[in-house]
Amino acid sequence: MKRVLFALAALAASMVLWEAYKAVGNPDGTVLFGTRVLPRADDLSMPHVWDVVSRLSRPELTGGRPVWIVVLQACAFTLGITTVGFAAGALIGLLLAVAMQRFRLVERGLLPYVILSQTVPLVALAPLVAGWSGNLSIGGLPWPDWMTVAVIAAYLAFFPVAVGMLRGLQSPQASGVELMRSYAAGWWRTLVKLRLPAALPYLFPALRLAGAAAVVGAVVGEISTGTRGGIGRLVIEYSREATSDPAKVYTAMLGAALLGLVVAGLVSLLEVPLMRHRRRVEVATL
Amino acid sequence: MSDRVGAGVPGPKRAVSVSGVTKVFNQGRPDEVTALSDVDLSVGDGEFVSLIGPSGCGKSTLLRLIADLIPPTRGTVTVAGEPAETARRKQGYGIAFQQAGLFEWRTVLRNVELPLELRGMSRSDRRDRARQMLTLVGLEDFTSHYPGQLSGGMQQRVAIARALAVSPPLLLMDEPFGALDEMTRERLQAELLGICAKTGAATVFVTHSISEAVFLSNRVMVMSPRPGRITAEIRVDLGERTEATRQADSYFEAITSVRRALRSGNTPAPAAP
Repeated sequence: MKRVLFALAALAASMVLWEAYKAVGNPDGTVLFGTRVLPRADDLSMPHVWDVVSRLSRPELTGGRPVWIVVLQACAFTLGITTVGFAAGALIGLLLAVAMQRFRLVERGLLPYVILSQTVPLVALAPLVAGWSGNLSIGGLPWPDWMTVAVIAAYLAFFPVAVGMLRGLQSPQASGVELMRSYAAGWWRTLVKLRLPAALPYLFPALRLAGAAAVVGAVVGEISTGTRGGIGRLVIEYSREATSDPAKVYTAMLGAALLGLVVAGLVSLLEVPLMRHRRRVEVATL
Repeated sequence: MSDRVGAGVPGPKRAVSVSGVTKVFNQGRPDEVTALSDVDLSVGDGEFVSLIGPSGCGKSTLLRLIADLIPPTRGTVTVAGEPAETARRKQGYGIAFQQAGLFEWRTVLRNVELPLELRGMSRSDRRDRARQMLTLVGLEDFTSHYPGQLSGGMQQRVAIARALAVSPPLLLMDEPFGALDEMTRERLQAELLGICAKTGAATVFVTHSISEAVFLSNRVMVMSPRPGRITAEIRVDLGERTEATRQADSYFEAITSVRRALRSGNTPAPAAP
């Protein structure tokens, strides 16, 4: 309850800040030594909060459906892609972490590439994946566009899970590992009884990061592959109308933010039944 | 003291027999350390033997060799007449460390069930057994608590119950009371002796504390470092241990002789307390 109140207060505060800046800021922005240090505060760049909200209820185009329905539908579409990408990425991350824990050689050989994989710019990668998957087919069926986007989302999502989970699997103290050895438990049973449960406090923060990464991957993936129907595409479409209808693009951005919150919330729900009675660890996953 | 230090008690069955064991860590590397050098140790059935000595004398290493957590460089270790590895695979011993090492995501009961679970015992059987063990250590009212909700002494009792769960003929304890306050420590010592008497388990007990070693043991093995070896064996005969034992003259005499053995075995006298 307290957290909800805090969240609402933060939302209200950011709206107040937005409007306050609009009220005092220079409409043409503040330029210092040729560099704009503060953004323009005119209605075109920063529409009023109430303009954005009221834009939600008006139709998308004359006679069309109201914007809020279009945005919500786009969010639902992207949520589907995000979910598939998140699930695939998390699974791959888990398997990689287990392999790296099991074989030190794999950890040494693979971990640098796992980290390297995230330094490739997404915008460079996305058309590449789109190009490959254009030639793919699953059992005679064509490879749908949304799968390409899901692959990109998975590509971003696997990383925090792989790194966080590896740390978690390595977290049990030597005494726990020795205890399992004294019970003549092999690698698999040590994994199931000791390492996996011990890794849970590391897994959930990693999953939250993966959720956020999957949203980013899905939105950017939609944009760079030109996949229609999602919120990423909607942001691009609406931004083309930014000069004539500045509030409209902000509705799409609100939708994207909402999507991120929903995904974060869903991931947190996974945690609730598993993390009662557990200590929380501070985990920085890079 | 016997002629051959550490040669142990006579008797047909031996819970533990260590002969000619040497353990070298990082062999062939610049940081090579000889942790144990040519150690012999024999523990009879139902006997309580303590290993005492300054840090680095290899007492924990010796315990871990008996537990087959690490292999010896030379020499043989047998537990109940079988190679240490066979004994480990059969869960032929129970072990407890200085850190209770409970799994915090399991309730107290489920922690004690763990070794039984790995043995493939049925759910209801292991539940009953774990309850019995927890009753033995006086924690029957805390079965559904989580380790984080218990004090250090209670956690250590759970660890002992867990070590006892498979009714092992041998208990290996590595400073199990080391992290506890003196009062809790003395109470647990008395409880441990009661449990050992009840179950008839032989015990190898590693400790830093002279009084603890004397109070608990039939024999105290005094060790010295660099390289780790057994330098003296002191038999302790105090009869049945009670609170009065802690005031008895014979108790203080035994403490004195262990202390003397520790000093003479570790010349020049270590600066450590």
